[in-house]
Amino acid sequence: MNCERAAEWMPEYLEGSLGQDETKLIEGHLETCADCRQLVTLAKNISVLPEEKPSLALRANFQAVLDAYEEGRTERARLSEGRPRLAGWGLGWLVSPIAGMALTAALLVLGFVGGRYLNNEGNAHSQQELAAMQTELSGMRQLMVLSMLQEESASERLQGVSWSTRQQQADPKILDALLHTLRYDSSVDVRLAALDALSHHGDQAQVRRELAQELSAQESPLVQVELIDLLVEWHDRSVVDQLHKIEQDSTSDPAVRQRAHWAVGQLS
Amino acid sequence: MTRPVPDEELMVMVRDGAGEMLGVLFDRYQAPLFNFYSKLTADRAASEDLVQEVFLRILKYRRSYRPGTPFRPWMYQIARNARTDHVTKQRPETSLDEEMPASPHASSAAEQNQQHALLHRALRQLAEDKRELLLLSRFQGLRYDEIAQVFGCEAGAIKVRVHRALQDLRDAYLGLERGGADMRRKTAGANHEL
Repeated sequence: MNCERAAEWMPEYLEGSLGQDETKLIEGHLETCADCRQLVTLAKNISVLPEEKPSLALRANFQAVLDAYEEGRTERARLSEGRPRLAGWGLGWLVSPIAGMALTAALLVLGFVGGRYLNNEGNAHSQQELAAMQTELSGMRQLMVLSMLQEESASERLQGVSWSTRQQQADPKILDALLHTLRYDSSVDVRLAALDALSHHGDQAQVRRELAQELSAQESPLVQVELIDLLVEWHDRSVVDQLHKIEQDSTSDPAVRQRAHWAVGQLS
Repeated sequence: MTRPVPDEELMVMVRDGAGEMLGVLFDRYQAPLFNFYSKLTADRAASEDLVQEVFLRILKYRRSYRPGTPFRPWMYQIARNARTDHVTKQRPETSLDEEMPASPHASSAAEQNQQHALLHRALRQLAEDKRELLLLSRFQGLRYDEIAQVFGCEAGAIKVRVHRALQDLRDAYLGLERGGADMRRKTAGANHEL
């Protein structure tokens, strides 16, 4: 056997799928040919290169993504069922220490006002107090969301974004913070989550305006694609020109250009 | 012993909304993917980001997964795209050389195993697409037909390309070995002259 024939059989030989007879022949050749032998040795050595271990943080971070995803899913399911808001507050809150603190504070307020409420059952005054409690709770939630969006760890920020979706009423401060997160957050995961949260507020003119602007400013192709999908979903024709530009721009990500092309077709 | 649930079945569950099943796939593939990237780029931090990115994309585009599609090639296709996006996103002044610090694993591996260190260096001398092919076929253990699915071409073409990449690797390896031997000879000669 010569090297040429050996080269023909080599891929199957290395994969271990060569027939017995051929294997014998090629091995006979390997005994006499140092060049081919070296090739086989190197190929086999690649497969036993030491395996490196990723850090434990990698798994933990991904778990945070999955949790946020699950939470978002149950949240959406709950919203679409239209059940009362308080019922959906799961134990996921307790995952974060800050969340734990917030929950404790909320329970204190609830206990205090609730106690007063029971004492003055049916009283118009208590209705006011209940309303005040609601406002306080929502204020506290706003505070938590805003502070969590500032956290250093991406998973805390993700949690913050996911909390923001508990607020059915659009809070301007939270919307601002989410838009800021969408543009400047260092983690693409957090940006995507922020976009997802913002997508519930398509009825807000400001949100639509800002998201349309974001189309050209956004650096992450993944977020851009998602943004394009959302704008198409909202039938926002004002962005067609921008989409055209992205489509023509040879420096843009190919997937984004392709999506922009598709979106132009959908919108015009 | 119970048979582990095949990747494809898990992925169908993920597709249908069971996000937690992606955790199982993550546990199966985070290390192989991480090694794929780290051996390709010698950048641990970027490699971890990319692994995360791959699974995020799987989650985002889960509905595009068609039942019956072999999972591994599908995943590596996403992995290659993520890597391409990552490279194009990087500032233009960051060259490949800067991205790959000199002797990424050599310092520790050389002490343990000089052969491994030399192999790493030889791999680094190859063009990225060749290094990628060798890692997929030899380190990740993908079959030629699976790699063909990743690259969207015929298995026959992959066999030829893997073989050529191996030949290049052998040349690079022998070059390094010769270089090392020359160096040792020179040092020995210098010592002799003294």
